[in-house]
Amino acid sequence: MINLIVDSWWVAYRELIKFFRQRTRLIMVVVQPLIWLGLMGNMMSGITNNPIAARALGAKSYLDFMTPGIILMTVLFGGVFGGLSIIWDRRIGYLEKLLASPINRGAIPLGKSISSMIQGAIQVVIIVAIASLLGVHFQTGIFGILLIILIAMLFSLILSGLSLTLASIIKTHETLMAVVNFFMMPLMFTSNALFPITVMPKWLAAIAKVNPVSLAVTSIRELTIHGWGWREILPSLSIIIILDIVFILISQFAFQRETVE
Amino acid sequence: MEKAIEVKNLTKIYKGGIVAVNNISFYVNKGEIFGFLGPNGAGKSTTIKVLIGLLRPTRGELFLNGVDIVKHPEQIKRDTGYAAQETAIDDRLTCLENIYLQGRFYHLSREEIEKRSEEVLKMFDLFDRKNNLALTFSGGMLKRLDIAEALIHRPKVLFLDEPTLGLDVQTRQTIWEYIRNLRRRNQMTIFLTTHYMEEADALCDRVAVIDEGKIKAIDSPENLKQQIGGDIITVNFSEVSNGKIQKVLGEVRQIPQVKKVNLGRDKIYQIVVSQRGDKIIPEIFSISQRNGININSIRLKRPSLEDVYLHFTGRTIQEKEESRESLIKTRIMKRKLRR
Repeated sequence: MINLIVDSWWVAYRELIKFFRQRTRLIMVVVQPLIWLGLMGNMMSGITNNPIAARALGAKSYLDFMTPGIILMTVLFGGVFGGLSIIWDRRIGYLEKLLASPINRGAIPLGKSISSMIQGAIQVVIIVAIASLLGVHFQTGIFGILLIILIAMLFSLILSGLSLTLASIIKTHETLMAVVNFFMMPLMFTSNALFPITVMPKWLAAIAKVNPVSLAVTSIRELTIHGWGWREILPSLSIIIILDIVFILISQFAFQRETVE
Repeated sequence: MEKAIEVKNLTKIYKGGIVAVNNISFYVNKGEIFGFLGPNGAGKSTTIKVLIGLLRPTRGELFLNGVDIVKHPEQIKRDTGYAAQETAIDDRLTCLENIYLQGRFYHLSREEIEKRSEEVLKMFDLFDRKNNLALTFSGGMLKRLDIAEALIHRPKVLFLDEPTLGLDVQTRQTIWEYIRNLRRRNQMTIFLTTHYMEEADALCDRVAVIDEGKIKAIDSPENLKQQIGGDIITVNFSEVSNGKIQKVLGEVRQIPQVKKVNLGRDKIYQIVVSQRGDKIIPEIFSISQRNGININSIRLKRPSLEDVYLHFTGRTIQEKEESRESLIKTRIMKRKLRR
């Protein structure tokens, strides 16, 4: 068990060195939420002048409403990297090298997930900082923000589990990207990340309610706009944790199956 | 002599029924450089992967320093170093980061890694470049780094799968020198695969010729060459009567090592000897002189491993690789192995 954790850390460490080395990617990490929040938030700022819309959003400004959505969106797309890097490692032979070493096999997918989680956390911190500068007030303060980061990390774990599982079946970057996008886009747009459920048509609202993205967004939004609404947060959080366990197990199983001959 | 590797009746059949290795047996002595010579798809890489515990054998018994490879894969992984055919270096990490992580994957402490990485990087002349991104390295340097990495945990047996594939002649010779040094300084047992004749000839103490999953012959390169017929001495006598030449050839035939004498064109004769043609040449000279015949030129041709390969498989290695059927087979195999 100790070996699994230590080995996973070194697998993650490798990804993190590369993450911090890629300046363009780091800049994008900052620029992207800046554009989303600055531009979209500003564009839509008039919406809260309409009392009905304001009530539907449940927030003082659209920016308050949107920030949790942007957090989730960033984490959602960051989760893909786990699977991509496994495919890359397989291609350059690094995966074989890892398998030939005495590390715990499970540490390979787990390490990739941990690195995605940490990268996700860094991105969330940046988004929170930018949002605060743009005037978003996080009701639950620093502890709320810490919980928001934790929820985002747990959510990214589901995504990397998914992408790692797909990567054990799909062997090329292009196909993996296509398949992952096939999941991502609908997940994003059938959730309450950008629009409140109350304004959705019935069929969409039904989907949005069970969409795991909505669960995470609801919790984070609760912490951002309202406060410690445990009745909203706890059920969502439990489902996210259950999904985490399920996807970690599936990805572990898929990885073991594909590498043991 | 103690055996580092012992393989008995190894068979590996992939899912889908492709027989990669078909009932092979061999051993490798401690401190030996042992080579598998064969074309792509012959089963060389598969054999290595089974020996280092990456693949499970379908049948057969395998031992590394007396330890059962199938039963104790964890220990085997600690005792073996492996540099794959594709140089598996993360080019967006520095030289040192690559080797540091490798050490961590073998559960070494920071101090151990620091000490040993300096040692192996110096051995492979990479120490000055240790902080450069691997991206900036040439093919030969990457290969050296790859082999250096495989040594960080001080393995007892080193496996090199096509160590000089795709490198130019000079770089290839440098890599050979590093491999020889490794054996000389560290008494390491080295198992390598190659489809370059010169490589097997220059490096290996013993060579196994492998084709289509079967071992066709195992011996030292010298003995293998002798097995297939020995040296050929080509003699060109100066213009004299045919009778005298026949008398000389008659005497030459009396030399025990001489197997046969063929008449070529323009009074050029080919003398096939079973071994050490270089020692027969002086005798031929003295026989000629005793009979008053001069020799214009004399040439010794020793069989190459190329000839050996041709002899045991019925094809040259190039022919083998160009055949379409084997190309497809190789591709399927590669796809399998990539998993």
